[in-house]
Amino acid sequence: ADGAGDIVHPEVRAHISSLVSALGGIALDDDGQYQLGDDALEVLRDLKRWIRFYDEKTNRMDVARCIHEANLIEGDLLPILKAWPENAMDNKFRSRIALACFELMVPLTWPMERDKERMTVNHHRHLPVLELAQVQYKRAIINFDGARILHAAVRAALPAMALPIGDRTARDQGIIKLVLFFLRNMASIAPPPDGKYDGDESHISRSATIDAFSYQDIFHVLLTMASNMGEDFRTEDTTVMEIIYHLVKQVEIDKLFMDERQLNQAKASELSAMMKKEAVMLKSQNRMGPTRHNRFGTMIWVKRDDGKMSSLSGQDALADSTTRNKKMDDNKTFKPARRARKDNKDERDLGPRVKLNARANDQLRNFVEEFIDSGFNPLFLHIRKTIDREAPHLLAHHRRQYFYLVAWFLEAERVGRKVKKSNSPDVDDNDVNRFHLVAGVLNQEMFITLNRALHESYDMKDWTELTAVMRCFTQILLTVQEMTELGNEDDQEIAENVLSRLFYEEATHDAIANIIRTYKDQRFDYLDAATELVHHFLRILEAYSKQNVDMQVRFKKRSRRKKKQATKEGDGGENAEEDLDDSADDEEAAERTSKERKFDFHKFCSRFTPQGVVDTFATFTKYYRDLTDVQLKRAHRYFYRVAFKQGMSVMLFRVDIINLFYTMIKGPNQLDRSASLYKDWEELVKQILRKCTQKIQERPELLVELLFSKIQGTAFFLEYGYEKQTASKS
Amino acid sequence: EPASQGLGIDEEVSVQKRARVPNVKLDEERHLDPLTRGRRLLGPAGLPKLRQRARNLRFKGKGHEFSDASRLLSFYQMWLDDLFPKAKFLDALAMVEKVGHKKRVVVARNELMNEGKPKPRDEED
Repeated sequence: ADGAGDIVHPEVRAHISSLVSALGGIALDDDGQYQLGDDALEVLRDLKRWIRFYDEKTNRMDVARCIHEANLIEGDLLPILKAWPENAMDNKFRSRIALACFELMVPLTWPMERDKERMTVNHHRHLPVLELAQVQYKRAIINFDGARILHAAVRAALPAMALPIGDRTARDQGIIKLVLFFLRNMASIAPPPDGKYDGDESHISRSATIDAFSYQDIFHVLLTMASNMGEDFRTEDTTVMEIIYHLVKQVEIDKLFMDERQLNQAKASELSAMMKKEAVMLKSQNRMGPTRHNRFGTMIWVKRDDGKMSSLSGQDALADSTTRNKKMDDNKTFKPARRARKDNKDERDLGPRVKLNARANDQLRNFVEEFIDSGFNPLFLHIRKTIDREAPHLLAHHRRQYFYLVAWFLEAERVGRKVKKSNSPDVDDNDVNRFHLVAGVLNQEMFITLNRALHESYDMKDWTELTAVMRCFTQILLTVQEMTELGNEDDQEIAENVLSRLFYEEATHDAIANIIRTYKDQRFDYLDAATELVHHFLRILEAYSKQNVDMQVRFKKRSRRKKKQATKEGDGGENAEEDLDDSADDEEAAERTSKERKFDFHKFCSRFTPQGVVDTFATFTKYYRDLTDVQLKRAHRYFYRVAFKQGMSVMLFRVDIINLFYTMIKGPNQLDRSASLYKDWEELVKQILRKCTQKIQERPELLVELLFSKIQGTAFFLEYGYEKQTASKS
Repeated sequence: EPASQGLGIDEEVSVQKRARVPNVKLDEERHLDPLTRGRRLLGPAGLPKLRQRARNLRFKGKGHEFSDASRLLSFYQMWLDDLFPKAKFLDALAMVEKVGHKKRVVVARNELMNEGKPKPRDEED
């Protein structure tokens, strides 16, 4: 701390507080109106200069801290904006003041970045306070009684927005940007995740935000801008998208399309399900629990092989051998060295799932429906082009938000239609071609962008973006699949086309198989997205390749270098000759040529049997207590496919996987017996276990192999009892 | 002579950290040369013991899948408890799996596998 315990420079504090008091104050007479100081406009400009030339230039946050302590926003700016009545649009002085207020509020509410490279000691000092300050600002702004502040912001930009795009000056553009940033900041501010905010959450929750946006007519502005994207607005596309992103992120779509009664019902059944789950949990705890006081002092010997004995204390050790084994295990304290988890800087971006109240639910649903009807195609087409040309106003996180939103809205579209149809089954919606509403993200250019993002984010190890891309891919697949099922003939033809293009590139198949195989320590969200993509990709590709028996894929030829290596390792003579021929050809071209070949689904599937993929799905299944039915089904189908369709059940025979399956069905923390998928899982596990014990008796060497990961060759031998005949070995 | 000297306050005391007992790696001795890696697993208490004990392992078969699995799991747990007494079951499994990629262990695994394979003709003769 500098000086006498003050954390900011005393002179800075003095300057700021004198400026704030010069701005104006509440009049002492009865009506208590806010009186502007004589040089209010200059004062506002001075404050702005302080922010820009002291805080931003020297990378400190002192001014922001002082402004927070002087209570500028709540005490001065909001009352000033209140005194800007709706019919005083012509008052030039007033609108200038209003604009100056927003010019101050935007930097003060700007999202904080914790970029380790740029952070100074001042950041660490001020950030925690300022984060809470921003939450307070948001609470004050969206709940302000005197005036509709968000609406006032839009009013400030209206003159500029009304101009045709060609006539706007740089200043006009700046004003529009400013106001959009203000809305973005309001949408994105959330209490810090570690729960330091002790105010009433309901004033700043997503529901309150959506309510404010609806009440202050911001949704109309967003819809107008989105549907005119590319005509009256151009560079504003990403900011509009950001606002929508912060409004809808992590909103549960199936709840969104319920009406109030259904929502209440869903909440009630959720509650009863939770209570039931808790009761079951308590019951299972009780069964294990002691029947006498804790100093009863039971002690038992456990006889083991080789004449050894172990001792265990506590009554529960008497129960059965499983409990005994578990108890022996739990008594051990050793923990193998583990690498610490890396702190993910994007972690707080998405946040937890959002619960909306019924009112906000209705408002958001209306917005979403109108947006799909009018704004979806223009906005997302435009942003896709922005991404493709790497426009200067595009930031790193925009790509991720784009894919997230496309996925979210595609799902919302599908769920919304389904709900509508079930509510009024007689209405035929063939007259309005529904798939045209989302056609903007189903064209060839989109697939190119998507594919590129898939490969790039994988190569750059940007897992958050890759998660968004995978979700987007999944939703596109599902939408197209629905097109083939429900659409009319035209739609079906289009869908066929889309699918053939999606499945044509073998590079995509490789990428997806690689992603799932190389999973390691990423977040659960990533794991969920990856398994979801694989599940639907396999399912839809299987159906498609059955229908189109002579499906072709384009694959890249192996590079020459690899072939040479293979030759050295003693490939067959024929192959070697071919390679020599190839090498005589143009070297560079040989590496790049691509060919078409017939697609073989069974062979393709075998890419999902290696140990890496099995491990990924096993890791996913480890969360079985928290998985939803859909997720459990996904894991179930995968293991079923590996064990019985691909005939590689040996890949599942590893002690930890067997242990997982066993505890899932019979362990103390078993899968909820009343869950709809319990029966399916029980049957699957039973089959796998039976096969496992049979195999052990058939081939005793499996007892050792049960400990280790297996390569395909070993697994094949264990499964079938003979070596796999491969072309290269013949 | 100042009194403090008699108390020994001014004398420098050597503050040295006591050498910590090295943390024994359960799976292997990393500091030894690479050839000996995985030797505990291949030693007498390791895989040979596992195979020897397996002779007493009996399964009941159809209809008793879960009790069979339980028997199998506790079989492995007991063996691992003897092999690496400190580590929990799942941790020990992970360690063994990791050592399984070491060359020595791979060779040993392949030998075991080859025992099970149908023997080539010339050996039969």
